[in-house]
Amino acid sequence: MTIYINRVTAIFICILLFEACALRRSEPLKGSFVPATSEIAKGQALYNLHCDKCHPDGEGGLGPDINWNPAPSFIKKMQVRHGLGVMPSFKENEISKEDLKAIGKYMKAYKHQKRE
Amino acid sequence: MKLSSIFILTVIVLSNTSCYKMRKSTGGAQIKTVQARQVSVADIALPKGYKIEPVSTGLTFPSAVTFDESGNLYVIETGYSYGEVFKSPKLLRLDRGGNTTTMATGTNNGPWTGVTFYQGNFYIAEGGALEGGRILRISMDGKITPLISNLPTIGDHHTNGPVIKEGYIYFGLGTATNSGIVGIDNAHYGWLLRQNKFHDIPCADITLTGKNFNTGNILTTEENDVVSTGAFSPFGTTTVSGQVIKGTCPCSGSILRIPVSGGNPEVVAWGFRNPYGLALSPAGKLFVTENAYDDRGSRPVWGAGDVLWEIKDGLWYGWPDYSAGKSIINDEEFHAPGKGKLEPLLAKYPNTPPKPTAIFAVHSSSNGFDFSKTSKFGYEGEAFVAQFGDMAPDVGKVMSPVGFKIVRVNVSNGVIQDFAVNRGYKNGPASQKKNGGLERPLSVKFDPAGTSLYVVDYGTIILKNHLQIPMEQTGMIWKITKDGL
Ligand code: HEC
Repeated sequence: MTIYINRVTAIFICILLFEACALRRSEPLKGSFVPATSEIAKGQALYNLHCDKCHPDGEGGLGPDINWNPAPSFIKKMQVRHGLGVMPSFKENEISKEDLKAIGKYMKAYKHQKRE
Repeated sequence: MKLSSIFILTVIVLSNTSCYKMRKSTGGAQIKTVQARQVSVADIALPKGYKIEPVSTGLTFPSAVTFDESGNLYVIETGYSYGEVFKSPKLLRLDRGGNTTTMATGTNNGPWTGVTFYQGNFYIAEGGALEGGRILRISMDGKITPLISNLPTIGDHHTNGPVIKEGYIYFGLGTATNSGIVGIDNAHYGWLLRQNKFHDIPCADITLTGKNFNTGNILTTEENDVVSTGAFSPFGTTTVSGQVIKGTCPCSGSILRIPVSGGNPEVVAWGFRNPYGLALSPAGKLFVTENAYDDRGSRPVWGAGDVLWEIKDGLWYGWPDYSAGKSIINDEEFHAPGKGKLEPLLAKYPNTPPKPTAIFAVHSSSNGFDFSKTSKFGYEGEAFVAQFGDMAPDVGKVMSPVGFKIVRVNVSNGVIQDFAVNRGYKNGPASQKKNGGLERPLSVKFDPAGTSLYVVDYGTIILKNHLQIPMEQTGMIWKITKDGL
């Protein structure tokens, strides 16, 4: 129960601090997302390969929704490298440093980029 | 942002991530009361410039549509739904005025999972829940001719397809089980109590590791009766290391083909769990959607996303030891939380499985699909895929409803994006959101001009005590077009 409250608090704080952290950000709801750089495009493809099945479009599924997640990107990278709870860890032989950086760039852009 | 607020946020984020096991599943079928089906296009979001409209409502378990050479629209009703609901499978013509004409009625051997029209006849994949799968040819005057019968699909998954290419009918056979082992979950599906000797059949000789799994004996009334079951074997039959299981055709988890006029089946590819949707790309390549493992039964697999595959002749695609081209053995990505790591069932692999075209959301049930073939509709060359939606918690736990929408896939880079979704704070089926949006899209099909995308929406299903309860007459067809067309 306390955990549930934390989650609600987190979302609340998130809404207060960031205008862009809606749970759902897919094209029909928010407009089309066009990667602005080739690194973001690469990150988008890698996200689809490694992450999207559990966090589809950053929404909840097998895993929790992460679109709203206000944690700084070094924390998210740490979560990916070391896993946490039941989230699997991805070591460097699976996702290279460069690839993880691209995934981070994509997640940030997906969250904040202005849509049409 | 100040450092202290970064710290507070970090603590909050970390503190709410360590409780996966305590969280309840919140799947799309986990609802208590069901409203009558409503239709409201305002509840569905599409990319700018597209619109959706209802075409036909009140259908019972519709699964697929097709068009004849004059552009008339036809739909099939499955005649069987999980939950052991048996009705008559039907081929219906949907007239423009809204009338429905029954063209043909099948026997008690559904589900009819797919239909295609070719040179004056309909070709239908009959699932075969009671008597085994069949491929049927149905003439315009309703005469039904089986082209092949007794396909081994009386288990969890059925005979699917078909697609016609260069004089051959291609179709898919699903496996009997979730991951190779017959268990108590198969009694929940219903078939194990009817067919207690049935099991998976490989397409080529395989050598087993001899891993067996203990369960209660659901076939006797005796308490504490434990049985042990090995891979590709009947319930209660053990296997030993090095044991060879002979391959044969027809076989489980395969894509097969027969000549359009009928004849012996050939294996095109195998090692799929449930190859449900088949479609040809604009360049004529065969693609298949595979429904991946569930977190259920004697050998539960977690974290397995459904897959879009391009079919390469003769290859093995990885079931029951791989998921989407990745080994599931000893990998935390695939063993269910709180359960043991996965061990291999096969001692040798026929080949290294290919890489997938795209990986869909776990439990999304990514099913029937079609390719956009013209810039008039847009997204030319992309695959549009119907996601039936999760059956949690029976297939495993989810934190939010998964699927219940249409997605599009860029087949050159595997990027999946939403195309038609229900509006609202969270994703989910209309019955759960208590609105008039999409319920369970099972397949999509472009009209012959390629400018309208027809969506087959199966209707409402709820889950009660491991039993699926599908609602009759809640199925419908939607049509998506570009504004101004
Ligand atoms: C097999 C499923 C799976 C895959 C693949 C996966 N995740 Fe996760 N992820 C989870 C689950 C489950 C959790 C929640 C963990 C818990 O609470 O124990 C999680 C949690 C997270 C969190 C923390 C969310 C929160 O609420 O604080 C982030 C961030 C995250 N994942 C990012 C990623 C990224 C980036 C990738 C791809 C590199 C990825 N995940 C791949 C299942 C997955």
